[in-house]
Amino acid sequence: MEAQKWVLESPTIGMIFVGASFIIFYAIGWYSQKAAKSSTDYWTAGRSIGSITNGLGMASSYMSLATFMGVTALILKLKVPFVYMWIQFALSIPLITLWYGTPLRRMGAFTPAHFVRERYGLRTSYITVAFMILVMVMYALGQMIGVAKVFEMLFGINYTLALICGGALIVGYVTIGGMYGTSYNAAFQMILMGIAFIIPLGAIMKAMGGTGWWFPPLFYSDMVPAMLDAVPDFFDMKYGFKWYLSLIPCFTLGAMGLPHLGMRVYTASNLKSARGAMVWFTFFCGIVFCSTYTMGFSGVYFQATSGSTIAPTDLDKITLILNSVYNPAWVLAFVIAGAIAAGLSTISANLMAIGAMIAQDIIATIKPDLSDKTMKLIGYAAIAGGGAASILIALNPPNFLVVSILWAFGLAGVTVAPLVILGVWWKPANRYGASVAVLVSGLTYIAVSPYLFPDIVIAGGGLPDKVGMSGALLCVPLCFFLHVTISMITDRIPSMMAKIPYKQDKLLVDKIHGWTDYSEERYNSTGAGIIIAAVSLFFCIYAVLPGGW
Amino acid sequence: MNSAYKKEIRYTLGFSVLLLICGHLGLLFVAFPSLQNHMIFGFPSQYIVPVVFGWIVLMVVVAFQAKFTNAVDDEIEEINAAAENVK
Repeated sequence: MEAQKWVLESPTIGMIFVGASFIIFYAIGWYSQKAAKSSTDYWTAGRSIGSITNGLGMASSYMSLATFMGVTALILKLKVPFVYMWIQFALSIPLITLWYGTPLRRMGAFTPAHFVRERYGLRTSYITVAFMILVMVMYALGQMIGVAKVFEMLFGINYTLALICGGALIVGYVTIGGMYGTSYNAAFQMILMGIAFIIPLGAIMKAMGGTGWWFPPLFYSDMVPAMLDAVPDFFDMKYGFKWYLSLIPCFTLGAMGLPHLGMRVYTASNLKSARGAMVWFTFFCGIVFCSTYTMGFSGVYFQATSGSTIAPTDLDKITLILNSVYNPAWVLAFVIAGAIAAGLSTISANLMAIGAMIAQDIIATIKPDLSDKTMKLIGYAAIAGGGAASILIALNPPNFLVVSILWAFGLAGVTVAPLVILGVWWKPANRYGASVAVLVSGLTYIAVSPYLFPDIVIAGGGLPDKVGMSGALLCVPLCFFLHVTISMITDRIPSMMAKIPYKQDKLLVDKIHGWTDYSEERYNSTGAGIIIAAVSLFFCIYAVLPGGW
Repeated sequence: MNSAYKKEIRYTLGFSVLLLICGHLGLLFVAFPSLQNHMIFGFPSQYIVPVVFGWIVLMVVVAFQAKFTNAVDDEIEEINAAAENVK
């Protein structure tokens, strides 16, 4: 059967909805920024965001354009294994809050790199910042390209013009609003995208004959028998144990290393509010994630039962296609506005992270005596500059930067999460261990990806290599192993320890956990270090053993 | 070593395990294939169990996480206040 190429039939209503939503984003950004009295307020929203708004913002930063487009395409392609890959993303904020979010909030950090600087020194923080900016640029680039493609489709203009106009609009409202504007906009965008995704999905299910249309996230079991007849392998697990295990280092720990997620915790008004936000995040994230699985399920079901075949280039538009088939034009327009809001919320968070790292983790360390007014101006410039750079790169992106946003998760898992986790919870972790571990494991992760050296891969060059799962299964434990062993060895060499302020580093650990007195016994177990090193070494060896994928 | 510190470590490790269980139940089904293809609520078990755990059960775990870790923070603050009073 010949695949049908999908085109948007009536873009005018879409333009109206998207235009109206941008007016609201700018209004929120403009109104919110008035509350920012200092550069700290600009980057942390005055640490004043309440739990529901923050929970919405956390979920929104996570709901990228992929929620509306990429995920459903990958469910169509990979079927249920991709659902398993997605489910675990909901662990990110609870794990960040548990392991380092609240200690870093207590410390007054702007970004996780800020903590790395305080704990491990400037040199290590520069290495970490370089990796973090690479991760954020890859992440923002994917969103920027996606939003430009939606603009291209909606306005009928070429890609370059769509990118420059769309990109400038996005960078404008993020720069104006700072973290205040980004937080309140993200909350609004989450509501917009949630409604735009779930309610039309219910209508699609009803039109398809599903009786559970009134609660799309979970009630579609009556469509399962027809699905099993049409696509018998839809629920097959397909891959081996290693594939599912590698989701933990690559995506669970990877998400823990994403600076823009950690930064959401630092905007909370207090620690209890941050933890309350995490509960709300789980609710909002779960309802949209589950609806995404339903949308992917409906897409496969539609293709299998309607006799229609979707062109391979249109697989990522399945949400739009289903809406255009089953819903009126104004609903489709609302869905497009929701999709753009999803892309925007993620780009905003990425740009805030890039800007904060440039302004606070690089410029402020090189020139620590700048006035608050100058730092605020640098903040505007850093976000606008980061956004402009993303737009310029997206005009003609180098292949290695658009390989996969998922690959960037693994890089964050390798280069950020182990340093921060050990830095917060294990006093013997020192600067020597951190700098060697992040450099060696980060470069190894890049080397074993199929993009630089196609012959040096772990899982045969397939999907696990392309999205970084195999690399993370090796390099995350490698980072833990190197960090722990080098720290333990150098800890026993007095001449090396004399060169670093290790007593001050240890004091910081107690302080960020809330202790006002210092105890050498706390967070200082040699046994824990040996266990971490042994377990990490085991997983390094397991990762490179052939088979299991 | 005081009980608040021990609780902090215990809760962090315990809730990490619970969170990982909620988000990675696929591992259980791939390790024990006999658990697959039992119909639950009209869905194959290997699909609906991870989906429900990844949302509803996760929410319950996270709510308890918030409650218990808040309590540990309060305990640490009490210990700090007591230490200040002694000084």
